[in-house]
Amino acid sequence: MRVTLVARPRAKPSLPVEAESIIPQNFLRGTDLTVYEGNKERRLEELFFITVEGPAVSPDQVEVVLMGATGRVKRVGEYMNAGRIVIEGDIGMHCGNFMSGGEIVIKSNADAWLGREMRGGRITCMGSTSHNCGAGYRGEKRGMRGGTIEIFGGAGDFAGEYLAGGEVRIHGSCGDMAGIEMRGGLLVIGGTVTRPCGNMTAGTAVVLGHVNRMLPTFQYQGVNDEVWDGKRLKMDVWEGDVANRGKGRLLVAVGK
Amino acid sequence: MSGILVRNAFVIDPIKRISGEVMDIAIRDGWVVEDAGPDPVVIDASGCLTLPGGIDSHTHVCGTKVNFGRYMSPEDMRAGRTARRGVMHVTSGYSVPTTFGNSYRYSAMGYTTLLEGAMAPLEARHTHEEFTATPHQDMLANTLFDGNWSVMEAVRDRDIKRVAAIVAWTLSAVKGFAIKLTNPGGTEAWGWGQDVRGIHDQVPHFGVTPAEIISAMIEANEILRLPHSVHLHCNNLGVPGNYRTTLATIDLVPDLNPLRQSLYLTHAQFHAYGGSTWRDIDSRAEAICQAVNGKPIVMDMGQVMFGRTTTMTADGPMEWKLYMLHHNKWSNHDVELETGSGIIPVYYSRKSLVNCVMWAIGLELALLTNDPWQCLLSTDNPNGAPFVKYPEIIALLMSRRYREQEGTLLDPRTSHRTAIFSIDRELSWEEIAVMTRAGQAKALGITGLGKGHLGVGAAADLAIYPLDPDGIDPAVQVQEVIAGFSRTKYTIKRGRVVARDGEVIVEGANATIWSRSDVPSQYDMGQDPAFTEKFSQYYTVRMKNYPVQEAYLPRGVCIRTEAAL
Repeated sequence: MRVTLVARPRAKPSLPVEAESIIPQNFLRGTDLTVYEGNKERRLEELFFITVEGPAVSPDQVEVVLMGATGRVKRVGEYMNAGRIVIEGDIGMHCGNFMSGGEIVIKSNADAWLGREMRGGRITCMGSTSHNCGAGYRGEKRGMRGGTIEIFGGAGDFAGEYLAGGEVRIHGSCGDMAGIEMRGGLLVIGGTVTRPCGNMTAGTAVVLGHVNRMLPTFQYQGVNDEVWDGKRLKMDVWEGDVANRGKGRLLVAVGK
Repeated sequence: MSGILVRNAFVIDPIKRISGEVMDIAIRDGWVVEDAGPDPVVIDASGCLTLPGGIDSHTHVCGTKVNFGRYMSPEDMRAGRTARRGVMHVTSGYSVPTTFGNSYRYSAMGYTTLLEGAMAPLEARHTHEEFTATPHQDMLANTLFDGNWSVMEAVRDRDIKRVAAIVAWTLSAVKGFAIKLTNPGGTEAWGWGQDVRGIHDQVPHFGVTPAEIISAMIEANEILRLPHSVHLHCNNLGVPGNYRTTLATIDLVPDLNPLRQSLYLTHAQFHAYGGSTWRDIDSRAEAICQAVNGKPIVMDMGQVMFGRTTTMTADGPMEWKLYMLHHNKWSNHDVELETGSGIIPVYYSRKSLVNCVMWAIGLELALLTNDPWQCLLSTDNPNGAPFVKYPEIIALLMSRRYREQEGTLLDPRTSHRTAIFSIDRELSWEEIAVMTRAGQAKALGITGLGKGHLGVGAAADLAIYPLDPDGIDPAVQVQEVIAGFSRTKYTIKRGRVVARDGEVIVEGANATIWSRSDVPSQYDMGQDPAFTEKFSQYYTVRMKNYPVQEAYLPRGVCIRTEAAL
């Protein structure tokens, strides 16, 4: 089954839409769903032109396609466990919160908190994302625990904060403090990053580009030959964050 | 206001010695009366267990440290959110909910009176402000005196009358209800990075011991004729082997009041550990219960239930020790010249043997204490578990089978370290009524205000549960008992139906109960040169700005006593 949601023009296009109901499994029971626009509850068809093609008997056979101005539509794919969501444009904050299975493909940019605390599945973002990608929300001690997030552009600050499992691959550059408080998992950054991995206790972070302002609380372990993205690289290996007896690994490409 | 007539209620009222009589209760103008007057609103309570409104004699729901728990745990505030509905405000939070969240959830469980377990005198204004936002329960505040400099100096000088005078002045200034001692001396020592390890350790810089503070306070409490006894959180909370400290403390207690206990031991579960480290911790509930049986002491369980919660106490050093175990977020506060506090979030797990032993000890205490009036039901909310777990605790106490079922999920070593699975006792409906309201009312000394019973002249606080004691076997029908105690059919508070089927239906208007002991003028600390001098020298507030004005208690109820000074 293929469900196509085309955003209707809105009188106040900057009002956020809380769309946690847009997940594949919900469309098995039809399209009679509600979302909040600001503080008003709206039916899905008030905000989207909906087309449904073909049948489905289980959520993994459902593909949801979002088109049009969806940059302020939040929480799409929250708690999804199967199926596929394709977003042709931008997507708002909290896309893929807590998702445990299935796939989300974003053809343009994603806003903050992409894949926060996700447990499994895959998110691919062709553009860039904003802050706290794959992170744990305020007060939470474990962020993403499983699955994969791949971003072909860059990311904002705090990418992979509290990362506890799974993989975050960012091909572009990150802002400040990527991978801080990491507890596990793998964070790969293709470009430049500033002050990465503060207070990490476990897991591996890989920086293929340059590190600005490396934190002084990492212990140098020497140079290793590593293969990342099919390239053979010499990498500096650091262990830390020793300030809190951390045992994480930070690999930085030599000479970048 | 027209009266209310509750018809055919299955009433259990331990104070009035009614155990399971089907009767009518007439209510008018907020009181239980003989005759409800013309055209009363009739509530059909046939087949419904009807009890006096629940009283929690030790809970942490209002005040600065509760609020700190709220803002240091945004993840907790995201749990348990409810939308605005009718007169109900938006609520959020699970272990430390918003004030309205506390109030609605207690009300749904039939609770109409709460005692805030620890109010720092300096921060009393905030506590009273939150009391007014907890509208469906009458509130009382235990006032902390554990590290009060003036009190400790008077204890050192062996001047009990001065101790009493300081307590009287402070209680009436901050509109507190009773004396709370939290790790007496220990919190002050923590200000210097130390703790006291037993009741005969010296508090640094003061030359007094916890034992001297406790004895002096018990005596001063009776001099002031306060309604409640001293409310004590013993030293060495949560330390393996601390049962010795607790037993030594129990030995200190004289019998000074024929009407009630002379000491209230709070969250006894945290004070009944044997062993010497976390590895060999075991239960000493039996020793504690033997010491308490027949003594003028009342304790509450401080039951631990599995799951996520937040611990908060005025016992600063203990929270620091917990932080060293968990390495999670943590806060410690110092309240100048008075006390301190600490807060950390915790998770009690069935996989942890220590947590399983804690769970078992709480239940053992309740089951091994002969007289239910001496061991009240509590979780020290939210330290042992959020209060919403009370119905589950009731079910555990009423059903051996349920305890055994739970036991199969626990660490198998639990049965070697505790005696919980060999206890056959199953509590009756009447004993539960004692442990959740009548016992509390008596221990707090508020039966005179009409609390905790349903006799003519009592405050019309009722909880009508959808439970038919004749039709349900609590030893087997566990889920029915839990569901029944979780949501009343009707909660009536001061003559108004405030909650129906778990939904709050009116705006509340609670009262704050405080005590004031009148002392002769030579004992008025407001005029005492040494006391006022100390105040202006050390406090960051002026003495005239310190007392909580009556405006903060829109419906204050003052219990006045005449001090025997």
